[in-house]
Amino acid sequence: MKTARYGFVALGAFLSLAMISQALAHKAKHTPEQLKAFEEVFMEQVRMGDLLFHGDEATQKKLNVQLTKTGMACAMCHPFGTDNHPAEFPKFQEQIGQFATLRDMINWCIEKPNEGVKIDPDSPAMKALEAYMYWSARGTKLDPGRH
Amino acid sequence: MDGNERERSELQKVLEGAGERPDRSLVITRRTFLHKSLLGGAAGAAAYGWFPLINTLDLALGAQQGFKFAWISDNHLYPKDVNTRFVDKAVRAVKELQAMKPAADFLIHGGDLAQLGDPVELDLGNQILSEVKIKKVYIPGEHDWYLDMGAKWTKLFGPSNWTFDHKGVRFVGLDTVSRGPDYWTAKKMSPKERMGHMATLDGSVAGAWAGVGRDQLEWLNKTLSSWKKDAPVVVFSHNPLYEYYPPWNFWVRDWREVNEVLKPFTNVTNIHGHTHQVLYNELGKMRSIGMLATSWPWPYAPRGVPALTKCMVRADPGDHFDGVGWSQLTLTAANKVENEYVMWRKDVLAEAAVDSGCADNINQEAHPRIADQEWPYYGAYK
Repeated sequence: MKTARYGFVALGAFLSLAMISQALAHKAKHTPEQLKAFEEVFMEQVRMGDLLFHGDEATQKKLNVQLTKTGMACAMCHPFGTDNHPAEFPKFQEQIGQFATLRDMINWCIEKPNEGVKIDPDSPAMKALEAYMYWSARGTKLDPGRH
Repeated sequence: MDGNERERSELQKVLEGAGERPDRSLVITRRTFLHKSLLGGAAGAAAYGWFPLINTLDLALGAQQGFKFAWISDNHLYPKDVNTRFVDKAVRAVKELQAMKPAADFLIHGGDLAQLGDPVELDLGNQILSEVKIKKVYIPGEHDWYLDMGAKWTKLFGPSNWTFDHKGVRFVGLDTVSRGPDYWTAKKMSPKERMGHMATLDGSVAGAWAGVGRDQLEWLNKTLSSWKKDAPVVVFSHNPLYEYYPPWNFWVRDWREVNEVLKPFTNVTNIHGHTHQVLYNELGKMRSIGMLATSWPWPYAPRGVPALTKCMVRADPGDHFDGVGWSQLTLTAANKVENEYVMWRKDVLAEAAVDSGCADNINQEAHPRIADQEWPYYGAYK
């Protein structure tokens, strides 16, 4: 019984420490392995977004999305992500006729020029597309609202 | 200075020789020209409410009789059941070309008739172009070629380079697409995979595929050797014959050698496709004009837009007929030739920075893609 109680106390102490360490994650010294792991999580999204952006059918199938019905892919109008201008969102988007986020614009492009099926704004496919667009435009100055 | 800048400074040095300018008989105007023959008659503006899709060119040749020819390119046709939009535009281009009065002397098709080199796409394109009743000549684009290495295209359209003389002009059709370095054999790619990489403008796998090649340079040199040095030469090519933006093959990799062959001639005009945008450049004594696509406009590249280009207005992605068009060169009373781009939308060339397809690129860092740089290839084109 006593042993069991000490056991609970030890477990509680361990959990508390774990929670504190999680809460203070940004205060802890990161190992190179951790940083690499963080980057890998991001780059995996970028790669997936790149494939979606370039019309890869296998990735669309895997994520259960249909970004085009015309054969057009995002990259056909946006090679190297040019003219995406993710740093300019949110803004009033003329084509949509209202204030829009990057995700709104991605969905507009899927629906209109590509004639595909709009995706859930919080879906893995959207997050991957967004990751690829920001990554492609790294170094661009933030300029929200610019026409 | 990065590689691209070094290359560009070499381009300036090699091609823009001191005090050299092309013949001043060609200028680009800002005006938009509406084809009067299409506005008149019973069909009227309703039938041709948008003016996409062909590029017609008039040449005035001193004492010779002036004439007109037409350019259509970059239709990027998919099979009919996949994409009817591009088919519609190609059909309209052909209809407008047929309606030209007086008729053009010939049509040059500047390549990328198909999107993925599929025989179905090439047959569809050939069927659409069969409605053109004037003389037709063809050069290939990379999208036409790399599924079967030009077998179907050559069967339909003949040799990929050629020359002929017409009313005092030597016309040359160059093949700038078929001599790409072999990126497929070592990686055991299927023809579809090979084509997929070639069809991705911003891909990194197909590399610097655009080039004229040693054998064709020799042929070009021989072809021009009998031609008077001050007589007009018009060279058609799918890619521009200078270095604009190599990562997208907006160039030919052997532009130095091409320049060596063309340098002795004082009246050379290069007319090219592939870039899908308004472009104008002068390189030594050669002028170069980029034609519009019928399919869609490419954005201007992040760097390298020739200083002499007056950029076109940012295309509206909600309007399938914006940013595509045709072009006409007209003989003026002053015996000059004017090139006028024609689009469905009247605003062809940007007046305000905010509307310019080039000014829009100022705050933009663009980077190459990543997913096709890994091997085994991550995902696509299986």
